[in-house]
Amino acid sequence: MEVKVEGGDEFANASYEKLCNLICRDIGVKGNIDRLQMFCNAAEHIFILSVKIGRVGSPVKVRDVTQREGKKLRITNEKYAPELLALLWDKYGKGEEEGEEEGVQEGVQEGVQEGVEEGVQEEEGDGERGGERVRQISRLEVGFELKEEEVAELMELVVSDPRDDLTFKILDGIDRILPEGARVRHPVSTAHGVTILASENPIKEEWRATAEKIAQEMEGVNENV
Amino acid sequence: MKMYEIMMFTGGVYKFNELKEVVEDIGGFVLQEMVMQSETMMHLAFPVEEEPRIRAKAKELGGKLKELPLAGAEIMVVVPSLGKHHAVDPMCDVAEFLRRNGAITNMIGLARGVGKRIAQMTAREKAIIEECDAAVFVFGNFKECLTEKAARLCSGLEVPYLIVGGPPESESDLAESDLAESDLGLDLENYVGGVGRRAERMRRKSEIELLEKMVEALKEVLDEKKRELEEDPLAASPLFVKEMIEMNLPPKAGEELPIVIHLDGLRVKVGQEDEERVLEIEIGKRRLSEICEMKESLYSGHLLKVLPEAVTGSVF
Repeated sequence: MEVKVEGGDEFANASYEKLCNLICRDIGVKGNIDRLQMFCNAAEHIFILSVKIGRVGSPVKVRDVTQREGKKLRITNEKYAPELLALLWDKYGKGEEEGEEEGVQEGVQEGVQEGVEEGVQEEEGDGERGGERVRQISRLEVGFELKEEEVAELMELVVSDPRDDLTFKILDGIDRILPEGARVRHPVSTAHGVTILASENPIKEEWRATAEKIAQEMEGVNENV
Repeated sequence: MKMYEIMMFTGGVYKFNELKEVVEDIGGFVLQEMVMQSETMMHLAFPVEEEPRIRAKAKELGGKLKELPLAGAEIMVVVPSLGKHHAVDPMCDVAEFLRRNGAITNMIGLARGVGKRIAQMTAREKAIIEECDAAVFVFGNFKECLTEKAARLCSGLEVPYLIVGGPPESESDLAESDLAESDLGLDLENYVGGVGRRAERMRRKSEIELLEKMVEALKEVLDEKKRELEEDPLAASPLFVKEMIEMNLPPKAGEELPIVIHLDGLRVKVGQEDEERVLEIEIGKRRLSEICEMKESLYSGHLLKVLPEAVTGSVF
């Protein structure tokens, strides 16, 4: 990520350059931003922050994070396990886990011994789970009861898309970098990024034009790159 | 002349009670005491002339004594807002460093303190800040904003203040004409530069040096106030008043810092039911109500302002 801050005095420029780097690192978008340019005019309280979004990771599919073993999937990247299970349970329904089945039987027996009401509740629980087709066998094993064409479709499902929250993350980063008092905003969006003009005063037309110009320059840099 | 010296003792628990006894024998006070397993930490106040005796005892026990330049003062750390732009860095670094040097610190984020033209402080916020002995304002990186904010927020305060900001302070050895042309320096009263907005903790050597410089500057600001008090001495030392209150109203279990010392008084955290009892406490031949003005604090406890001896007459 290339950072350039101009318009302020020597200390302010150096300090904001460091701030931009640290904040982008903290929110985890440093690798997704090609270039970040900031223009500061503290005397008129005008701040322009322009971001050029670079490479974004491609969507992660089921086949990227699992390995098929007959009627089972072995999770090869545990980082995606919660999202993968949530996706499969949502689409195909949650089946009983092996440990869970025993637990339910014990629960029913205890329910019969302790009182009728608890036993009834457990039976209702069993009824809800009927016909569910994906179950977690162990920490990294997922069992399924699906037809072959459904399995092919399952393998192509998107588990996680880095693009989804990138926009929110970048906007959050911009908000953190810009001074807190600059609450009047004028966004300029371009094909590969976003430019935000911020001030505490009503924004004059000349500054809007400057922001547009900076946004266009950033796009130009993109094309050259 | 300074009456009491306040120092911090750190060492083992072995025979540390003997040190407490020595302090009490020479008319000193234990302000804070913390025992952590086999370690102990105490803030001690004792007459200045007895320092060699305390040092000798501390050496005998194998402990260390550290001077606390800000001890006996309650400092308010003021930031433009409590948002992520100012909290937790650098405001917590500043407050932590003040505490390490003996101060009791409070923090306040202003309701409308952000920006340049729009920055303001309400009368209530000003009154809360003025309850403390001094204020430390933590501002940002732009010279223009700092100058305007300092004039609007700080200059009207009736307590001493220090401004901590980003732009480096102007070099005193520069000629005035150079200073005017210099783009770097910031010529403000009671200002320490080099801190500014931060997104990470101040832990490098150069950053710690900046914080030390800040403590030094604040010490100078407080020393001025102390000198004024020495010229017109108080009827009784706040340390002595604290001791007498604690003897009459023992602190309740689990209560933390029920009495905070100020340079010219105390903050006493007592309930409404004990308010009258506090004023009845005898200090020498007088009652506390005769030598103090009491008012309810805007945010915690009651404030006792000890009147000068010239007003009340001697308490003994």
